Amino acid sequence: MADLVDSMLDLMRRLPPTRTEENVAALIGICPDYADDLLGSVDQPLQLRTDRATGREYLACDYNRDGESYRSPWSNEYDPPLDDGTVPTPKLRKLEITANEAFDTYREMYYEGGVSSVYLWDLDDGGFAGVVLLKKIMTPMSPYEPSGSWDSIHVFETAERGRQAHYKLTSTIMLQLVTRRGSERDGAEGDRKHDKKDSEGWKREGEVSLSGSMTRQTEQDWPLQDSSSHITNTGKMIEEMEIKMRNLLQEVYFGKTRDIVYDLRSVDDLEKARRQRELQKELVGFIKR
Amino acid sequence: MDATERIQAASNFLLQSPPGEINDVLNDVRNIISDDDLLQEGVLPALREYNLAQFMTVDVPGTEHQSIVSEAARISSSESGSEERFLDPRSKTSFVFDHLSLEASDPQTVEPSSESEPFRLALETSTLTYLSAHFHDGVASVFSTQETPNRFVIQVVANKYNPTNYWAGRWRSEYFVDLNENKVSGKILVNIHYYEQGNVQLATTHEISLALPPAVVTSSPSSSASKIIALIGDEEGKYQISLNDTYQEMGEKTFKGLRRALPMTRQKIDWDKVLGYKLGAELSSSKGVFGNS
Repeated sequence: MADLVDSMLDLMRRLPPTRTEENVAALIGICPDYADDLLGSVDQPLQLRTDRATGREYLACDYNRDGESYRSPWSNEYDPPLDDGTVPTPKLRKLEITANEAFDTYREMYYEGGVSSVYLWDLDDGGFAGVVLLKKIMTPMSPYEPSGSWDSIHVFETAERGRQAHYKLTSTIMLQLVTRRGSERDGAEGDRKHDKKDSEGWKREGEVSLSGSMTRQTEQDWPLQDSSSHITNTGKMIEEMEIKMRNLLQEVYFGKTRDIVYDLRSVDDLEKARRQRELQKELVGFIKR
Repeated sequence: MDATERIQAASNFLLQSPPGEINDVLNDVRNIISDDDLLQEGVLPALREYNLAQFMTVDVPGTEHQSIVSEAARISSSESGSEERFLDPRSKTSFVFDHLSLEASDPQTVEPSSESEPFRLALETSTLTYLSAHFHDGVASVFSTQETPNRFVIQVVANKYNPTNYWAGRWRSEYFVDLNENKVSGKILVNIHYYEQGNVQLATTHEISLALPPAVVTSSPSSSASKIIALIGDEEGKYQISLNDTYQEMGEKTFKGLRRALPMTRQKIDWDKVLGYKLGAELSSSKGVFGNS
């Protein structure tokens, strides 16, 4: 029944991204046997949690979950506590600590806020895999101020080949932007490019919401000096990927969706343009004669 | 989940369908529920609700135009148990609508109310002119309301589906013109879906209301109707332009505020340094520990 999972994924690709959590829960309700397939392949907004030991915030997702508990990257402890929760081997945990520090610096430099978390786990074939998570939320101070959230999920797998390492990276970015508009705000900001005389009688209230997610993959080989090279290598790959995807998101969110609105409705009078074309044709015919 | 809950969940999915993708969603839901008998009966109310809310367009039998299937187009019937019918006021035809095949059948002529028809017709004429001037593939219907005289509903819908390039869009607007209260109120709804290697959706709502100036209401039906449509067209044009401002604000404030294009240094990160600093910090802190002991 592989195609059942395909149908679920196709459905999730069509339904509104703002309702992903609710829809995933409904799908699990219909097909409980496929809960793991679904949770493993549909990216959901990252949950913010607080490490009880250090008081520091971390991000929860399917990768640091064991049963009902989530592991903090800062204390390595599960919450609610687990006696036999899966943790990385001591060697990998050491790398995980360094990776968390490095990506925390990355987070501060690009996000100037937000929360980051890195989780690593051993693979059966001797290699390891990991996930780098970044999240930032902008909360509006007033009703007409824009709000938004950014969630990055970078999952990678690595296999060492002598002095080289091969990396497979799958990156998903979820981005949500919401702006509310209303007459009140128009008034407050004075003449907001509106012809005041005309618009005076109108009362307006509205919301613009742009939301969604995009996923991209890449595979690369990088030189390996010691185990910390994994952090510089994945760091460079993830930085490059986020720069590329940020441009892509900008293009799709602010370019493509706007163009489609203009494909539906034209600000300029189409009839006028049609008449102009007719006239031009006539003129061309006239000159040819 | 029992059968009722499964139908409830399936209906919920259908009602969230992006423009032009109801059949794709229905196909997915069929596969997921895998009980066609249960589904066929169960999801019809959801399909009907979706079609009415989304201003589904239909070819009207015996005419060259399309009309809108919506709550305003529904003919409220006093006989219970009779089949639901919808009205195309433009051709004065009522028809039965199949919510799955989206086809109209059994056309019948309907006699309009002589009281409201002149103004409705004037509104319709102006609306159709406006439609062809500003919408690429638009459909519009103008209804008079059965219960309240002097109250009219204007509905406009424009769809563009481009599955080959993974996008679809829908513009809906609806206005209630009330000549008893001299008021126009309505809303514009835009939904865009872009889904090439992702799922990005634009959803906008814009509610508006306007008290009609006395000069507009006291004119002849045709002049009054064309003035009302001019006011609406003007507002829609302004709204479309204001979307550009909103986009710009989102791009400059929210998007940049969430993640910078590059760090303050305007350079990409030197990862060896990041790791070096951390190791250095660790070393000096452990030195400090040794120094104190």
